[in-house]
Amino acid sequence: MSDQTILDEIAEAPADHYRILKISDLDGDKLLELSKFMHLSLSKEDMLAVQEIYKGWDREPTDVELEVIAQTWSEHCKHRIFGADIEHEIDGEKESVKSLFKTYIYDVSHQIFDSKPGFVLSAFHDNAGFIKLDEEQAICLKAETHNHPSAIEPYAGANTGLGGVIRDILGAGKGAKPIGSLDVFCFGSPDTSMDNIKADDVLHPLGIMRGVVRGVRDYGNRMGIPTISGAIQFDDSYIYNPLVYCGTAGVIPIKDIDKKVEAGMKIIAVGGRTGRDGLHGATFSSAALDTESHESDQQAVQIGNPIEEKKAADFVLAARDKQLIGSITDCGAGGFSSACGEMLEECGGTIILDNIPLKEPGLVSWEVFISESQERMVLAVAESDLPALQELADLYETEMTILGDADGSGILKVTHHGETVCQLDCSKLHDAPVRQLKAKWEKKTKVIEAPVLSNPGATLKELLSDFAIVSREPIIREYDHEVQGNTVLKPLAGAAGDAPQDAAVMRINGSDRLMSMSVAILPEWGKTDPYAMGAACVDECMRQLVASGADPDRIAILDNFCVGNPEAEEELGALVETVKGIADAAVAYGAPFVSGKDSFYNYFETEEGPVSIPVTILISGMGIVEESAHVTGASLRRDDSLIAIIGHTSAELGGSVFARQTGLNDAEVPGTNLEEAMKMYRQYYRAIQEGLILSAHDVSEGGLAVTLAEAAFSGKAGLEIDLCSLPMDDEASKAAMLFGESPSRIVVEVAPENLEKLAALFEGLPFACLGRAEADHSNLNIVWGKETLMNEPIDELKSLWKNGLAQYY
Amino acid sequence: MEERPCAVLLKFPGTNCDEETARALEAVGFVTEVIPISVLKPEKLVGVSLVVLSGGFSYGDYVMAGRLARLVTEQKVGETLKEFRDNGGYLLGICNGFQILTQLDLLPAGSLVENTSGRFQCQWVTLKNRAPESPFLSGLPESFEFPIAHAEGRLVTTESSEAAGYLESGAAALTYSTDVNGSFEQIAGLQDESGRVFGLMPHPERFMSQEDHYDPDWSNGQGGDETRGSGYYLFRSLYDSVTSTSE
Repeated sequence: MSDQTILDEIAEAPADHYRILKISDLDGDKLLELSKFMHLSLSKEDMLAVQEIYKGWDREPTDVELEVIAQTWSEHCKHRIFGADIEHEIDGEKESVKSLFKTYIYDVSHQIFDSKPGFVLSAFHDNAGFIKLDEEQAICLKAETHNHPSAIEPYAGANTGLGGVIRDILGAGKGAKPIGSLDVFCFGSPDTSMDNIKADDVLHPLGIMRGVVRGVRDYGNRMGIPTISGAIQFDDSYIYNPLVYCGTAGVIPIKDIDKKVEAGMKIIAVGGRTGRDGLHGATFSSAALDTESHESDQQAVQIGNPIEEKKAADFVLAARDKQLIGSITDCGAGGFSSACGEMLEECGGTIILDNIPLKEPGLVSWEVFISESQERMVLAVAESDLPALQELADLYETEMTILGDADGSGILKVTHHGETVCQLDCSKLHDAPVRQLKAKWEKKTKVIEAPVLSNPGATLKELLSDFAIVSREPIIREYDHEVQGNTVLKPLAGAAGDAPQDAAVMRINGSDRLMSMSVAILPEWGKTDPYAMGAACVDECMRQLVASGADPDRIAILDNFCVGNPEAEEELGALVETVKGIADAAVAYGAPFVSGKDSFYNYFETEEGPVSIPVTILISGMGIVEESAHVTGASLRRDDSLIAIIGHTSAELGGSVFARQTGLNDAEVPGTNLEEAMKMYRQYYRAIQEGLILSAHDVSEGGLAVTLAEAAFSGKAGLEIDLCSLPMDDEASKAAMLFGESPSRIVVEVAPENLEKLAALFEGLPFACLGRAEADHSNLNIVWGKETLMNEPIDELKSLWKNGLAQYY
Repeated sequence: MEERPCAVLLKFPGTNCDEETARALEAVGFVTEVIPISVLKPEKLVGVSLVVLSGGFSYGDYVMAGRLARLVTEQKVGETLKEFRDNGGYLLGICNGFQILTQLDLLPAGSLVENTSGRFQCQWVTLKNRAPESPFLSGLPESFEFPIAHAEGRLVTTESSEAAGYLESGAAALTYSTDVNGSFEQIAGLQDESGRVFGLMPHPERFMSQEDHYDPDWSNGQGGDETRGSGYYLFRSLYDSVTSTSE
């Protein structure tokens, strides 16, 4: 009787399509066995709580109901760890955190909302948060991860990752129009040896990279949404768990932000059909990967069909413009169960599963209800508008189905083949047991002696060839970053059209204002100083937006976390410290979080034990650019201009690409002087408004020397730079001056006649003119007084930088 | 009262450049209407001066680019587009639209196949204007830039001599100044014998103003009205031709 399963013991099947599960008499261990067997990803405590709820109702659950609860309570949907009670210990000091989300994200952001009335128009409760663009329109941004699917099936995983976040935007408000996407990846190094992969069936990072890029390309390009912003990190810790972040921005008329489901409305679905693809995506992403996942979980990865989504998008935007939408949401994790559950959460209503068009016959009730088949949207609409909606569906050739109706009962009722297969009071399901977790972090860095540079020019060349810095051009060119015709500041620009930029800027139809978008991710910092990583990520995102011309007082950001094992105290401790870092920076910059997401269990059971990713935070941001004249690129524009730096260079080398190359793994990581930085950004913005800045490039990976080289990659001129007047710590080494990555610094190009005005704006703040653009040669010449530090032909530097990734992609 | 000429843009499932192309047409003076293919009927072209097939991925282009769009168009309106041309109408195909026009036999024989790089290529290219008398190109200089964004833009002909013939006959109205995607004779755009049908892989609608260019200092030394991009002049030439012939 070895194939006797827990289900056989407790299930009763009143019909072929659903079962009643007798859980009331099971003990904790048996409940856990059931959870595992059904892939519910619910803990023993969760299952006991479910049992308790049903005891209160004096009945047994159906399998559909258990699946719905598992989706609702999944880490993916409910963010249980961000809501947990955490006993945290930092350098021996104990503290307790009641909900990271509430304490450091929600409350912090609401404090900022209050200080900027009318700026944030919606946050946290909808698919994406909106900020005001002008009197008529609002913009939004949402980012998601699709890590586990991308590890197993990179093309399809990334494809549907982008497809999913685009639907988030279509389902934000009464339907926002997607106008630009971002993608950020963390992979193992492209030159990883197969011998270093210590588990079967794990794909080589190069295979993952190629698949992921093509997946993003084929979805974004076909949808006609420009992919304009991104980043890639390469580190061995991502070999088993690659990270794939996809984000999309949208625009909406302000009047269409508020949505409402009312009793009597019809619930309809548009888009693709429902099949067995994508079962258990939400619960699958709430568990760790192992070799077996690669075999057994393939049905959790869906197949994307961007044209299906494009048709649905055309339908949604046309329906919104005709005022035919009461409410809308996307089918993401949890499929119809999440979408309908969310939509009917307050109002209640009935969903008739028989109405749902299927890809194949024979799906049982729970499969229909939780399938994560792609390209589906759920809407609540007035019954009288159904003919007009059907006409639009016919016009754009998308399938529209009436699923059921909202009835004001407060109960989510699901019927199939004439029987009620689910009847839940969703308001009773909100209180998933609060998890109790322990976290711990100890300082890991120390003051080190900076290495003496024997040949700084050679070091610069090594940095420019490092995977962390090399040009992403081969990938960027695979994405259509100009469709919709609004990309003003492109990801590659400058006189030769191939130099890196800090942010991307798009025009918005119908407005004089523009939107700037950028991303920041610094996982190397977090390995030793997660708090510093958090603050520096917010700073870098903010700085890139400001550098490109955005108003520093009209910026909103997103936090997207990826974490290994939250039950490991140190990993959770790193998370707590990171969250504190981003929260402090957000407050200092007045840049609220308007949306965020977290992904846990990014660890893998290898032959040599579990391998976790480092706690990784992606901060992505959107900023308002007042007019197109303010848009500022990062490439040198003239051969007679002056080069200045804004910001202070500190002595610490930790977290830098230089430190990693030199093996300084525990060097102190630079902190961020948040108050001073905000003052500088505001002054910089005044300089932008006064037209004083020709170009500006933020100092990030590779430090000042790399920044200067990248600015010069426009090919307009050589550079003569003297670091004597660089504002810095007294003890800063040459290595720190050239290659340190202390935050809050921007290199600016200014016309000689404007230098004085610019310097006056930065009085009392770290600012210095470092040198000039040079028409007579095309070298990067950096001196320290009389000592030449490097004098390298820019062409040579550029070719190293340009070809570093091209040979692998 | 001034009558503005009407341009219709056919929209297939997967067409995604219709909005900005309509915007570009309106900027030079056209009235525009986007017509989803599901409601296309021959009558829809009555009173229309210009039919535009804009960029995107019609039906996903999973089969050969433009193939399904051709089949559906023929099924919906049969030979109407050819009659439209014969009656003096103008047709413009951009990117996927060029691929479709080629499939519909409205342009000299040729196929647009996968770039030799095997990649999607989003970049700016320098083009040579080889048909300065074309209604589409008359306002453009000998050499100018447009962005491209395609994976299947390599123009091939059954015999390579055919492509060389297009250079001589003037059918190859637009060529790349370097080998961008492996196109025979570096052909970027073709016109038919009437000159009123034109297809090109680059995207003029993405370069309507100076600020669309990747180099903020692009217009220095270019002369002319520096707030305009080269794409504007393509649409403006077309508008001028349409309005002068309709008088």
